Amino acid sequence: MPLTLRKRAGERRKGRMFMLRKEQNDYLTQTDPGTPMGDLFRCYWMPALLSEELPEADCPPVRLKLLGERLVAFRDSEGKLGLIDEFCAHRGVSLWFGRNEECGLRCPYHGWKFDVTGQCVDVPSEPAESGYAKKVKLKSYPLIEKGGVLWTYMGPPEKQPPEPEYEFCTVPLNQTFMTKRLQESNWLQAMEGGIDSSHVSFLHRGDLSTDPLFKGAAGNKYNMQDLSPVFEVTESDGGLLIGARRNAEDDQYYWRITPWVMPCYTGVPPRGDHPMHGHFWVPIDDHSCWAWSYDYHPTRALTDHEVDSMKAGKGIHVRYVPGTYRPLANKDNDYLMDREAQKAGRTFSGVEGIGMQDASLQESMGPICDRTKENLVGTDNGIIMARHRLMRSAKALAEKGVIPPGVDPEHHKVRQAALLLPRDVQYKDGAKEALKAKKGVRQTSV
Amino acid sequence: MQSESARVTTAQEAKYRVQYPNSQRRAVKVIALDPPSAQMIDELAKKEWNGATFFRALSFASDAEPGKTNAGLNAWLNDLAGRALDLVSEVASSDFIVVVSAAGEDARSVSVIADACTAHHKTLVALVVPGEGASDADVSASMSHLRPYARMLVIAHDADYITAMLTALRA
Repeated sequence: MPLTLRKRAGERRKGRMFMLRKEQNDYLTQTDPGTPMGDLFRCYWMPALLSEELPEADCPPVRLKLLGERLVAFRDSEGKLGLIDEFCAHRGVSLWFGRNEECGLRCPYHGWKFDVTGQCVDVPSEPAESGYAKKVKLKSYPLIEKGGVLWTYMGPPEKQPPEPEYEFCTVPLNQTFMTKRLQESNWLQAMEGGIDSSHVSFLHRGDLSTDPLFKGAAGNKYNMQDLSPVFEVTESDGGLLIGARRNAEDDQYYWRITPWVMPCYTGVPPRGDHPMHGHFWVPIDDHSCWAWSYDYHPTRALTDHEVDSMKAGKGIHVRYVPGTYRPLANKDNDYLMDREAQKAGRTFSGVEGIGMQDASLQESMGPICDRTKENLVGTDNGIIMARHRLMRSAKALAEKGVIPPGVDPEHHKVRQAALLLPRDVQYKDGAKEALKAKKGVRQTSV
Repeated sequence: MQSESARVTTAQEAKYRVQYPNSQRRAVKVIALDPPSAQMIDELAKKEWNGATFFRALSFASDAEPGKTNAGLNAWLNDLAGRALDLVSEVASSDFIVVVSAAGEDARSVSVIADACTAHHKTLVALVVPGEGASDADVSASMSHLRPYARMLVIAHDADYITAMLTALRA
């Protein structure tokens, strides 16, 4: 357990004015091995890499860090995927420098070679017959390919759950599009932005009418007409459903319903027939995370225009520093802040693009948001309940071994929805079918 | 040269944030709408709170009929000591109001509280606690009563959540 958690565990609470105590903030934000939230994350399949990062057999290996563990991924000569400890068991050299050849990754320093399971298969300095290589094995995690994403599970092998069944990764590849971007903040403040529906009418207001992946939807007018949505939060089997309700005509409400599946998946309610999108926030370490952004349509191929727009950084996607997954607008260039656009109302914050509007503000909170100083209000109950479920689930896992919500692939088969309902109809009833992922059935959207 | 954003978003710079209480104690009034939720808040009230106060019963004057909008505001709350307190005065002196309803119980009295909140421009947050044996129909019925009045409506599957929420709101 990290020092901060150990240190804080025995401290007495010193006052009631803290919103979230320091030790609770540490509990939720620390995901390294041996931490409660780290153990929780290690119950799930998580996006690790894009398929495009390991495009073919014997392609260059990729180094990555997930949940505070440095790893290297490669696709061997037979196309098998491997995710293993980054460092050679001999002298600690990074295997990113390795040669990916003949079904293994060979360290360039002294030639030790490892297969996709991390098993050492060759120690050139020792006679093959000695069996020395068999006694050396690097830590490895399973890596599977699904929906253009390489997923890993970093928990105990005996508890490996069935493969993920999120709808975006089960539709044909021409119906789905995934990107990732580096976010230079803790995962939790990024994820909390995804379930904070009330910020859309402010931060992203300029984009609803201009972004090619949002504009034109009939529902957009309700967002703009009613800036004070009313919220309903309820637990789902896998996490939460957060409904935001706005007034519409003919005695109806316009509902936008965001599902959150534990620990870090969200779906953004759709707009018109535009593809549906959402995110995963996967911790790299306690100070950074990968913001994964998917777009998919349940019943049709994405159009060239849609894909081109996504590649151009529209919608929830971003443009990159060439050759990287770091956003082009980033903290090093002050996010390309445009005060004139802010003053003219083209953007609300001066930062262009929905993804970076979110990321810039979340990074401004610091590497780990100090939640002891925040002042939440009633409409922040989605965030409060998500934290509550995370802490409760991590505790149940640690104390009783209870498998947390969101591990069961059935929990993944949830959809976001946007719809009009009569005012006397509960969204959990009126939108019940709309919130289920169903193969070949169009999304429910306005 | 390093940008200002890059420089100020480091953990090192976070240490220089100004340390002071950035908000004042707030008065949160928690009102149980029915006997089962009154039991819950009895327990809650035993904990240490910043400025939260708890009321476990609501009685109305004869000219105010619970459930009718624009019902008269001549209504009374009981605090945990059993003292009758004027609803409107309590709402007026609050920062926001939290009502707690056990699923399936009569939640119609929320309308009178909501009228008081409207009159004094206070936010009303509503929590529905299903409890053991509550059916979906019970939950739906409670939500129907509360929906027109609550700025935020939450189904809390365990009473612990009420504590978590009030703590989060610095109640």
